[in-house]
Amino acid sequence: MLIIECPYCGRRDQSEFSNGGEAHVKRPDGSSEISDREWSEYVFIRSNTKGIFYERWVHSHGCRKWFNCVRDTSTDEILKTYRIDDTRPKLKDFKNLVDTPSGEPELGSGNFTVKK
Amino acid sequence: MKELKTNSSPFVNFNQKISFLFDGKKIFGFKGDTIASALLRNNINLVGRSFKYHRPRGIYTCGIEEPNALVQIISEYSEPNTRATIKKIYEGMEVESQNRWPSLDNDIGSINSLFSPLFSAGFYYKTFMGPHKSFWKKIYEPIIRRAAGLGKPPKEFRALSSHLHHNVDIVIVGAGLNGLLAAKSLINTNHDILLVDFDNHLGGIINNSAKILSIDNQSPQEWVKSTVEAIEKSKNIKILKNTLVTTYNYINHLIAVEDKHVGSRPSENKVNNILHKIRTDHVILCNGHIERFLSFQNNDLPGIMLASSFEKYICRYGTLPSKEPVIFSNNSNSNSLIYSIINQGYKPKAYIDSRSGENIEPELFDLIRKHDIPLYTNSQIKGVSGGKRIEKILIEDSTGGLSEIHSDFLCVSGGINPDVHLFTQSKGLLDWDEKDLTYKPSKPFQPTITLGSASGQFNLEKVSDEINEKLKIFKNKVLDTQIVLNTKESYQIEKLWEISPHKSSMWSKSFIDLQNDVTTKDIRQAISEGFDRIEHLKRYTTNSMGTDQGKISSINALGIVSDLLDKKVNEVGTTIYRPPYAPLSFAAIAGRNSYEFYDPERKSPIHQWHNDNGAIFEDVGQWKRPWYFPLNSSESMHDAVQRESKNVREFAGVLDGSTLGKIEIKGKDALSFMNLIYTNSFSKMKPGSARYALMLGEDGMVKDDGIISKISEEHFIATTTTGGAATVLGCMEEYAQTEWPNLNVYMNSITEQFATFNISGPKTREIMNKVFPEIDFSNDAFPFMTFQFHNYQGMQIRILRASFTGEMGYEIYIPSKNAAKIWDQLHSFGKDFGLIPYGTETMHLLRAEKGYILIGQDTDGSITPIDLGLNWTIGKTKQDFLGKRSLTRTDTIRTDRKQLVGITPSNKEDQLTEGQHIILNQNINTPIPMLGHITSSYHSPTLGHSFGLAVIKDGHLLIGTKAFASTPDQKTIPIEIVKPVFYDEENKRLVS
Repeated sequence: MLIIECPYCGRRDQSEFSNGGEAHVKRPDGSSEISDREWSEYVFIRSNTKGIFYERWVHSHGCRKWFNCVRDTSTDEILKTYRIDDTRPKLKDFKNLVDTPSGEPELGSGNFTVKK
Repeated sequence: MKELKTNSSPFVNFNQKISFLFDGKKIFGFKGDTIASALLRNNINLVGRSFKYHRPRGIYTCGIEEPNALVQIISEYSEPNTRATIKKIYEGMEVESQNRWPSLDNDIGSINSLFSPLFSAGFYYKTFMGPHKSFWKKIYEPIIRRAAGLGKPPKEFRALSSHLHHNVDIVIVGAGLNGLLAAKSLINTNHDILLVDFDNHLGGIINNSAKILSIDNQSPQEWVKSTVEAIEKSKNIKILKNTLVTTYNYINHLIAVEDKHVGSRPSENKVNNILHKIRTDHVILCNGHIERFLSFQNNDLPGIMLASSFEKYICRYGTLPSKEPVIFSNNSNSNSLIYSIINQGYKPKAYIDSRSGENIEPELFDLIRKHDIPLYTNSQIKGVSGGKRIEKILIEDSTGGLSEIHSDFLCVSGGINPDVHLFTQSKGLLDWDEKDLTYKPSKPFQPTITLGSASGQFNLEKVSDEINEKLKIFKNKVLDTQIVLNTKESYQIEKLWEISPHKSSMWSKSFIDLQNDVTTKDIRQAISEGFDRIEHLKRYTTNSMGTDQGKISSINALGIVSDLLDKKVNEVGTTIYRPPYAPLSFAAIAGRNSYEFYDPERKSPIHQWHNDNGAIFEDVGQWKRPWYFPLNSSESMHDAVQRESKNVREFAGVLDGSTLGKIEIKGKDALSFMNLIYTNSFSKMKPGSARYALMLGEDGMVKDDGIISKISEEHFIATTTTGGAATVLGCMEEYAQTEWPNLNVYMNSITEQFATFNISGPKTREIMNKVFPEIDFSNDAFPFMTFQFHNYQGMQIRILRASFTGEMGYEIYIPSKNAAKIWDQLHSFGKDFGLIPYGTETMHLLRAEKGYILIGQDTDGSITPIDLGLNWTIGKTKQDFLGKRSLTRTDTIRTDRKQLVGITPSNKEDQLTEGQHIILNQNINTPIPMLGHITSSYHSPTLGHSFGLAVIKDGHLLIGTKAFASTPDQKTIPIEIVKPVFYDEENKRLVS
């Protein structure tokens, strides 16, 4: 289980939080001028990143605040958490741990023995 | 009783005799004994039958790695698969052997041995293939089901276990020589430390063998005592005894189970198990090593034991399983066993070593010569034979000559492996050591440090150097510990995995996994059938898939496979060791979250009244809601619901609606916020009025409904469905924080602060006039869908004129603590007007007659407001609201979507059932297109027949046509598709 640092409360166990999917997905203005495609991309399409991923969490059994988080999905390492109104940290600020050709980290992916 | 084989051991109290039952027979042991050590004292070695072939099995080890000696503890709720080698005995304990019938000595299942080809590698998978379809159902499945598992399932019991959380800097796993030294070097540092050990006596190898003569000029026992005392005195170290770390998760999260009733009967009112959930910054693994066995013909017979286990029985438990065992080894680790036996005044019957003479330590040579022990160097055991115990051992010497020894005990050592289970669970990488022939930890993935034999460093003299080096980061005290060993050995081993038999026979087998009865022949077969990848091979043969995870044998399997495939062991790889390290009981995992504490029960403030008045309850989410109120025990649910419904339509009824979700929304921008969250527009609503509203997901599908009361432009109260309250509040919070943080709005749940009573029926107004005489309930003063605040006996209540039954009615909102008062008033005044309480089932029937939907029953996340015919709820002039744009998606504007309609049977006596499919043909010839299904169905006492609501394709267009409802017995019921309103379509009664 992860340890997540709530920007308001501090480090807490994952069981206190709920995941809210990809972060920085802007909700288009509800006016009907936007195309079906544009709207459906907001409603249905999310990226399925392996590696550095920006996502939302809510401290549901705590302060009930939503916040953003940068997590490496291939190792589950949480690199940063920040308030919802903070600016999005740049991707180049983080070292992408995934550098093997198959996208698997050398360590921690669980199937290293099979690959050998 | 036979003479007890006693010896001296500081860990067993030889003055306290204990008796327990093994298979109904009274056995004596001493306080501190395990089941296994007590049985060995009594010369009992046959303790179970094997999994597939029902072969007799004995005690193979002296610890948690035991594959054979698994027993059922009858006196502990019949707990199965308990390792006899670690379970301590207590007075009156009842133990039974497993997997035998009718008795351990005479087991009918052993006939399976004759059918062994049937149970070969891939047996389970092959059964699926034939010879004929019916074989599986009639022959294989019954056989597999009967044979599955070793013990019998335990009886039901109340788990007395709890969970404990720790947050520390360092966890030291294992308090053996290395664990104690590591802890000693960290005494009085500013690190918070947990020292965890599985045993109740710390010391590990110091207690279990005679390897160490002295530590810092003290006897090993004295050293342990003084060291443990110093550690206990230190403020920063806490010791957990009898605690097994079973799991090493991501981010240094460890799970450990503590046994609180070691050597005593489990308490009926005290906690027996504690599950420790540990978070730490660093883990120091000092969990030692495990000895492995060797594969030769009949290497499973009772009387065969691992060499280090034999020594542990001598040193730790003070019992000598045999006075003159034969020893067979390929490495130097078993040398100390010979010393230990000689120390007891006996000597091995023979020592067989696969190594050639020049590779054997000169000290050992001298000792063997001195005591005149028959020595076979460069020799191997080709096989053993015997019935329920070994009798003869066949030895092949360096020249290839065969000789036989008669013996009833054989100690085997195939080398030692670092116990890497926890290290690999933590996702650390292993590397094959060609010299020591074992996998050793190489690259940790987490901040994990391995020490001593757990790290593959088998030299006991070098432990303090290793600790000084590896624990530098903690600024620990530098150790200068002098350890004097009994045998000056550095670990040395010769490659040997398997010895081929001299002669093969049907009964003779060479096992690679004792618990799952996997033979080396199975490995060969699996490889020849193409399962040569190690993970495939493991599953195909079930090798190392038992509860012991092949602790003493999995490396041997890798060695055999690497030889067969002519690959290096590193290329073969290893299977992944998964948590838990050893089985832990569900009771420990569940902790206190069992039975009534599994999920909280929520109760209405007048729950007691319902209980007193005979209500039958229904679970709605976590809530207990009255389902119906039978008049007496003989009234059925159907009769009660028919009676309640009729009564509401004719007179009046009251429902406890306190479980409905209630959310209060306040703030300068509350109006704009509500307009964005719900479909309806609240802008033109007058304060004091209310509106039925829908909430959509962004995909345009109906998520929840409720009544929104507008108190002012800046203050609203929303009701939600009973089950949807948390989701709706969560959704509001999410959008308020993430999408529209510019809006000044706050929301909170007030569900439990207010009770809600829904009173309805033609007599309602008369009753309300009696209960609240100062309030004018006339149509002009209190119109439909308005609400008023009133002061009633010093408390503020809110009355809303709304109805979910189709009759005129009111919802009364009262602070919970005063709710019972008003409920009683309603009943005492209402009695004369025929007021009755009714439950959720009647509520469902009445609302369905009126065509009111129930979220989650008539909708399923794929229904839009338009599909429901609720277009009027959509504020069309609004710029935006949740899901608005989705209502004009290509998919949502299709006309052939499933839409809500009413259904009546053409023959009024036919009964409809929820879930029935609607089809157009009278005859069912599959495949048949299905239009949709019935979502709600009831028998209406008002209409006099069954009716239903359904969602069907193109439903709105099909209204007025005929169709059929399918039944499970291939028949169809003719039905008519009608508008989804069966009662008072003009709403006359609502506003009367």
